[in-house]
Amino acid sequence: MSTLPILSKPLTLPKPLILIVDDEPQIQRFLGHALAASGYDTCFAATGQGALEAVAAQKPDAMILDLGLPDLNGKAVIETLRAKSNLPIIVLSAHDQEMEKIMALDLGANDFVAKPFGIGELLARLRACLRKAPQPEDILRQGPLVIDLPGHTVTRDGAPVHLTPTEFDLLVMLARNPGRVLSHRQILLQIWGPAHGEDVPYLRVFIGQLRQKIESNPSAPDLIRTEPGIGYRWMAD
Amino acid sequence: MDSAAYAAKTSAMLTSVPLLPQQEGWAALPRLPQMLGAALFLAAAALGTHLTKDSLPEPSGLFLFFFAVLLAAVRFGFWIGIATAIAAFTLFNFLFVAPLYTLAIAKPGDLLVLAEFLCVAGLTGFLAGRLREEANAAKSRAAVLEVLSAFASDLAEADEPLAVEQALVIHATALAHGPALVLHARDPNASLEVTDLQPPDLQAPDLQAAERAFRRHIPQDAAEPGQQGGRYTFLPLMQQGQVVLVLGYHRLDAQWPDRFARAAAIEVICHQANLALERLRFAQAAEDARTAATREQLRAALLTSLSHDLRTPLATILGAITSLRQLGATLPPAARDDLALAIEEEAQRLASYVDNLLHMTRLQAGLSLHLIWVDPADVIAAAVARARRAFPLAEITADLPDLPMIRAESALLEQSLFNLIDNAVKFSTPPARIAITARVLPASLTLTVTDQGPGIAPDALAQIFTPFFRANPNLPGTGLGLTICHGITAALGGSLTAESPVADGHGTAMHISLPLPKVSA
Repeated sequence: MSTLPILSKPLTLPKPLILIVDDEPQIQRFLGHALAASGYDTCFAATGQGALEAVAAQKPDAMILDLGLPDLNGKAVIETLRAKSNLPIIVLSAHDQEMEKIMALDLGANDFVAKPFGIGELLARLRACLRKAPQPEDILRQGPLVIDLPGHTVTRDGAPVHLTPTEFDLLVMLARNPGRVLSHRQILLQIWGPAHGEDVPYLRVFIGQLRQKIESNPSAPDLIRTEPGIGYRWMAD
Repeated sequence: MDSAAYAAKTSAMLTSVPLLPQQEGWAALPRLPQMLGAALFLAAAALGTHLTKDSLPEPSGLFLFFFAVLLAAVRFGFWIGIATAIAAFTLFNFLFVAPLYTLAIAKPGDLLVLAEFLCVAGLTGFLAGRLREEANAAKSRAAVLEVLSAFASDLAEADEPLAVEQALVIHATALAHGPALVLHARDPNASLEVTDLQPPDLQAPDLQAAERAFRRHIPQDAAEPGQQGGRYTFLPLMQQGQVVLVLGYHRLDAQWPDRFARAAAIEVICHQANLALERLRFAQAAEDARTAATREQLRAALLTSLSHDLRTPLATILGAITSLRQLGATLPPAARDDLALAIEEEAQRLASYVDNLLHMTRLQAGLSLHLIWVDPADVIAAAVARARRAFPLAEITADLPDLPMIRAESALLEQSLFNLIDNAVKFSTPPARIAITARVLPASLTLTVTDQGPGIAPDALAQIFTPFFRANPNLPGTGLGLTICHGITAALGGSLTAESPVADGHGTAMHISLPLPKVSA
């Protein structure tokens, strides 16, 4: 009898702990219920300072952070946290605070959700953030698309797709971050280097070319989604 | 200044700078009465000499004539003095110097007497004339200065362009010793219009001269030769290359000895009026800028409030509803209920916020109210019922005497009472105890909402009606509630006042005071 708990243990993975930082009690209230029902443990903070303390004390697996906090600006929280941890951070922000979102992403936030949002969107972002960094694979698959990294080849429905080296790098960067937003700046810095951090029009041209080659309908892309003003997102599943 | 006062003042000023007596300069030409006067002096001297020639020594007669010359010169001026001197010498020689009754001069010394007579007469006439001139000029200068100083003090008091123009016309009237007026053009291309309250009658040549002054930016005299008999002079007042107005004044008579001083004074008052108008324009611009800044501030605050206070409830509602739909099966029943409750609460919050916004917009737009007879007790009951629904835990009591009917718009009054109760609950430590009382005075009805909360700090008390002011920014709220109450009570013709603390250092009472309509007997 006493072995039963031990037997059942491997079946229930420890629930991920999500820290919810928002000064609105009503937002905390519904997020608490929704996350609990989705298989997460939750803890709360209403201020930036409280968030930093909760991260230190409770070691959450991810943080949902409202950018408009009464004491500390949400961006300051990200900056402080990023100095010592890579805790996944999802930022909640108003729809029109584009600059805020970009700055939060550039400071190291993993993703954002614009208020008001449906719970499904937040849960999808949360799953994408919590997904363990995939072991470096040689073959990436997404729908009809197969990316062979060592072979530097891409096929769609078995037919080869011809990509330039830059297009290939761009595609690999996006496909390695499924479901996550990548800001213009992040992409430009990684693919083109530090001198090109602001060349957003340039990036747009390359994304356009890539879509022509890999999307089934380039004018209604379902692999590379545009986050207006922010960047691009590789749509997983 | 109203038009009657203005007209009275203008006509009173017409003679405030008296005209100088004309032709009283030392070299003024003699006139007939003066000559007769001088002749009278001489006749008197001759008669005196004749009567006394036996009793007094001979030179005394000469002194009498001398005195007559002196008097004539002092009284009637230089030329009469000279003429009197010659006449006196001739008469004295003819009547009293041997050979008698001839004009023959026996002794050469007598010629010296003539020279003395002439010198005394000339010098005296000149000095006396100059003295008179000086005295007159000083009097005129004093009068002009008085006008200038009165004008300066009028300008200091002027708080609008019209007042400046009226002062200008009044004092120009005084200086020109005749009617004055102000002409305007709406824009540089329009023609001039007489905007004065009491326009004197202008003739065609005057209007043409005014138009020329306006177009050419230089003074115009309608009475100049070749101008077909106008009577006015026109001075344009310029600001930044534009004529702001044209002053017309009755032409200064070329005969007036002080016309140059008067013209200079008119130019001075025009200049001062121009400065005053410019100052008013700047003040107006500064005032406009301040108003615009305040409006901008309000708009920014409204936007912030909108983005926060509309979004937060929406985010909760949308999030809770999607949670219910997508996770419904996995949510425990208690969590489902709580989500539904959260949706209800936030929808209420949204509704109340939208109500407030609409009321405020309506009040700010100055929309007219539809006042009807309202029983205040009904309105209070409705507000209390709504508040009890919104705050089930609060203890809200209404203890009312018989209340008279009032003229009001009941939805607005209910909203303002509800806002007061809402505030009272929000600032109370639970359980909130809110009392609504009413007091009937002869001319007004006072409704009071009292709480037992901590009260309002004195510095916050002064600001509670300011839009978007929030005494405690940590509590939910928009900072609009009391502003709207204040606006509503003002629109209903009443007032809203705050009293805090009410009793031993705590509690707040908000008083809505509404006028009671006069009941016709």
